[in-house]
Amino acid sequence: MRIMQLKINTVRSDYAGFNGIAAVAAKSKEIVLDTLELDFSVCNFFEANMAAPLYAVLARNYDRLNDVVLKNIRPEILEILRKNHFLTRFGYTEAHDRNQTTLPFKIFKTGAGEQFADYLDRYMQGKGIPPMTEGLKKKFHQSLFEIFQNAALHSKSESGIFVCGQFYPNKQRVDFTIADAGIGIRQNVRKYLRDNKISSCDAIKWALQEGHTTKTGRQPGGLGLKLIKDFIELNKGRIQIISRHGFYQFAYQGDEIRKMHHDFPGTCVNIEINTADAYQYCLRSELQAKDIF
Amino acid sequence: MKEQVTIRVADIIGSPLCISAEDGQKVYEKLVPLLKQGRKVTISFERVTTIISLFLNAAIGQLYDDFDEGRLNDLLSVTGLTDDDLDMLKRVVDNAKRYYANPQSFDQAWVLEGSDEE
Repeated sequence: MRIMQLKINTVRSDYAGFNGIAAVAAKSKEIVLDTLELDFSVCNFFEANMAAPLYAVLARNYDRLNDVVLKNIRPEILEILRKNHFLTRFGYTEAHDRNQTTLPFKIFKTGAGEQFADYLDRYMQGKGIPPMTEGLKKKFHQSLFEIFQNAALHSKSESGIFVCGQFYPNKQRVDFTIADAGIGIRQNVRKYLRDNKISSCDAIKWALQEGHTTKTGRQPGGLGLKLIKDFIELNKGRIQIISRHGFYQFAYQGDEIRKMHHDFPGTCVNIEINTADAYQYCLRSELQAKDIF
Repeated sequence: MKEQVTIRVADIIGSPLCISAEDGQKVYEKLVPLLKQGRKVTISFERVTTIISLFLNAAIGQLYDDFDEGRLNDLLSVTGLTDDDLDMLKRVVDNAKRYYANPQSFDQAWVLEGSDEE
């Protein structure tokens, strides 16, 4: 058995952070029945919600029967990743989350929508996460369910769906990240459009169009991401979608799409909301129930 | 005149969470025979706490494949939705009308090449 050592740099929820995680996947993709050693000695900061995409990469390694060892983690990062339960997967004990700002790392089976609802009920209520208006909380929950169920429906992830969130009090932001170790958006879009040449970036762009869905059972769809984008725009938040070689980010200032340096083995959606948002999302609608159909 | 029927979504799916396509399908399967009989149906969302578009596509959106718009407009009504959920349902319905007006054909025989090229 050989040991592959890889260094983890500082990881934030940005293009560099997702590339750093994808690099681990790319470099370790050939090893089987070996040990992957992740060295955190040059990692100065690790945003806790990024535990979800990191685990998606590690899950692929577990699939190939590799062991994973984490070492040289700085005390402050160790503390954060023990608080959010990520490190309990690697033999560490949990740390008490005194300020209750974490939405702990958890793995769900793809059919576990109701358990995901229980998780949100348990960890989103009060605690260190600031009280949000009812309308904001509802929109945020709806967005998370849309993302979770999209992953469940399309990813074909055999190792489940990985979720993790973190409240950043100084920024008045909550980041919530949902990752899978599945086939990626590109493969679904290529199959649906019968085009083997579509890039990851183009596949993400296609999937973001209202009404575009890769569902094949003569059932409409393709609204979920558009609804989330509309919400994020009002909230002045941010959404990032990383799938295979594609990185997409939408914030109220605009959007960007870039090719990743490395192949992320699945899909990851990070949604960041502005918790100080006082916008009333339950505004009276002009719409009458009789005008719907 | 046929009696108006009320379908209570929370009872049919056994949950206040309208978050899965499977549960949406259960509602759809209750609606279709009633609509085929020409019954007026009220879909009640009382006691429902969370609804997403995925559920509504399956429960209501796909009805536009079976019935024309005018018929659904005559027979269907909804209660118990907040205004923002009503807005979402409207978008689901409009999306479904567009979708069935121009359905994409899907060729099951087409084979995806295992290409990792970008």
